[in-house]
Amino acid sequence: MTELLTKLSVLLHSGEISSLELTEKYIAETEKKNPVYNAYVHTCFEKARADAKRADEMLRKGLGGSLCGIPMAIKDNICTDGIETTCCSKILEGYKPYYNATVVEKLYNEGAVMLGKTNMDEFAMGSTSESSCYGAPLNPRNTSYVTGGSSGGSAAAVGAGIAPYALGSDTGGSIRQPASFCGIVGLKPTYGAVSRYGLIAYGSSLDQIGPLTASVKDAAIVYDAIKGHDKRDMTSRQVSDEPVEKSIDGNVKGLKIGIAKEYFEGIDSEIKSLIYNAVDYYSANGAEIIDVSIPALKDSLPVYYIIACAEASSNLGRYDGIRYGFRAKGYTSVDDMVYKTRSEGFGREVKKRIMLGTYVLSSGYYDAYYKKACIIRNEIKKSFAEVFEKCDVILAPTAPNTAFPSGLAKQSPLEMYLSDIATVPVNIAGLPAVSIPVGTDKKGLPAGMQIIGNAFDEKTVLNAAYAFERGNNFSEFDIPEIV
Amino acid sequence: MALTISEMNKLATLARLRFSEEEFEQFMDDMDEIIEFADTINQSVAGSTGDIKDVGAVVVDMDMLRDDEVTESLPSEKILSNVDGDNGYFVVKKVVGKGNA
Repeated sequence: MTELLTKLSVLLHSGEISSLELTEKYIAETEKKNPVYNAYVHTCFEKARADAKRADEMLRKGLGGSLCGIPMAIKDNICTDGIETTCCSKILEGYKPYYNATVVEKLYNEGAVMLGKTNMDEFAMGSTSESSCYGAPLNPRNTSYVTGGSSGGSAAAVGAGIAPYALGSDTGGSIRQPASFCGIVGLKPTYGAVSRYGLIAYGSSLDQIGPLTASVKDAAIVYDAIKGHDKRDMTSRQVSDEPVEKSIDGNVKGLKIGIAKEYFEGIDSEIKSLIYNAVDYYSANGAEIIDVSIPALKDSLPVYYIIACAEASSNLGRYDGIRYGFRAKGYTSVDDMVYKTRSEGFGREVKKRIMLGTYVLSSGYYDAYYKKACIIRNEIKKSFAEVFEKCDVILAPTAPNTAFPSGLAKQSPLEMYLSDIATVPVNIAGLPAVSIPVGTDKKGLPAGMQIIGNAFDEKTVLNAAYAFERGNNFSEFDIPEIV
Repeated sequence: MALTISEMNKLATLARLRFSEEEFEQFMDDMDEIIEFADTINQSVAGSTGDIKDVGAVVVDMDMLRDDEVTESLPSEKILSNVDGDNGYFVVKKVVGKGNA
């Protein structure tokens, strides 16, 4: 895997290329390839050029760190001042936020250049990005297959070489699973490590913003730039200032890796075999493999869907056509306007999850569903904490399968929910996890391996990922380079 | 059937959603499937949970609350920038009096 961001940073800081020249190359490449992959839904090339000129000024003065002058893409549910942010939903058509999300502010302070907003499942609800009101993005590895979701556009942009890195969001696997399907790296940080201010909420106790990149060190660089406590997000936490990127060296001698059998039930046999090969690799490099069991995981999926949909039904209550976005026509009263706007503005999957969320929170059902789900959630958190007394990381598949063929989501929605089985436990417990490529299946589609760590231990997680990446060169995942 | 028609209607009202007849039927089937899926948690936590308190999702760290100080807020013109405001107000149909649903 190319350490793309380091490579670009060296070129920019040495003056071999300017940010404006680099940005123009990415703009040209995006104009050529985006009609094929549909990764970007809103582009802002004039702004990108202005960002690039500002970055060049920073570089001339010797300012700006590793990300200065490098173009990037932002998922369409992260607020960007003056740039359309729609969560790929009709109900937010035309919405231009009047502020930047904290993560966007941080990246701009580093001198980042924004190329545009990427495609996603509507309101981040989905695992294929096909519920986007702009049509689905296509998998750069094979366009007959989905990118995964919900950060499918970000994964496609990075995988196709039209964004050196992208930000996504992960509520039940939405960074890790598309990273796995597209053969790239995706990191979901610990809940609270990255500010959610400016992330349009889906499941507020589960959502986290994270990077999608070409390599593990790139993910560490971006994570270092976006992490940190934010007064404007009461769920954000103090995180060490020490750069994670500088502290990963790929040494896994003595690393205790937990293998939980529950993670391997119902997983495609090809993927299992690839992960077991990875286990052998770690073992051969001095890691200690420990068998563990997390029985509470069996309830992860229903617990996730109950909590996520409950929170979503509450969060999406704000979309009423009054202050922003789409407003229906032909209404007879304010109430009628709200009903019409929501019924015409939301897609099918979003409505389904709002209805389920309303159901589990409604009088008479709150105890039976939401409260019980919260009780089991605490059990799951405790179970992980017990495992991390014995292990440093847990190794697991990212998804039970490789990418689906396009169109499958419509036929079997419940099957789509079941495909989140390996990713949702980490959101429930608020832990960090990275997905890295682990090989391909017989069809040549990428498979992903997940490395899960203890809370705020991104360093150990990314170090373990780097160890595997540098010893296993999957050249079929090489991203087209334009410099 | 997990849900009756009347329960579906009640949920739709709470969620401020309207369905066509065809959509309504499809949603009822989908909801049944998902509720059956959600019901599996009852195998792990049986019986009443009425006595259990404090199951909040996320614990807020009370040491990290920000100071109660007045700072700049977003200017009104910006907040109104996404709609056709009127004299600093969002405009909707009359809420009070005749015509109110």
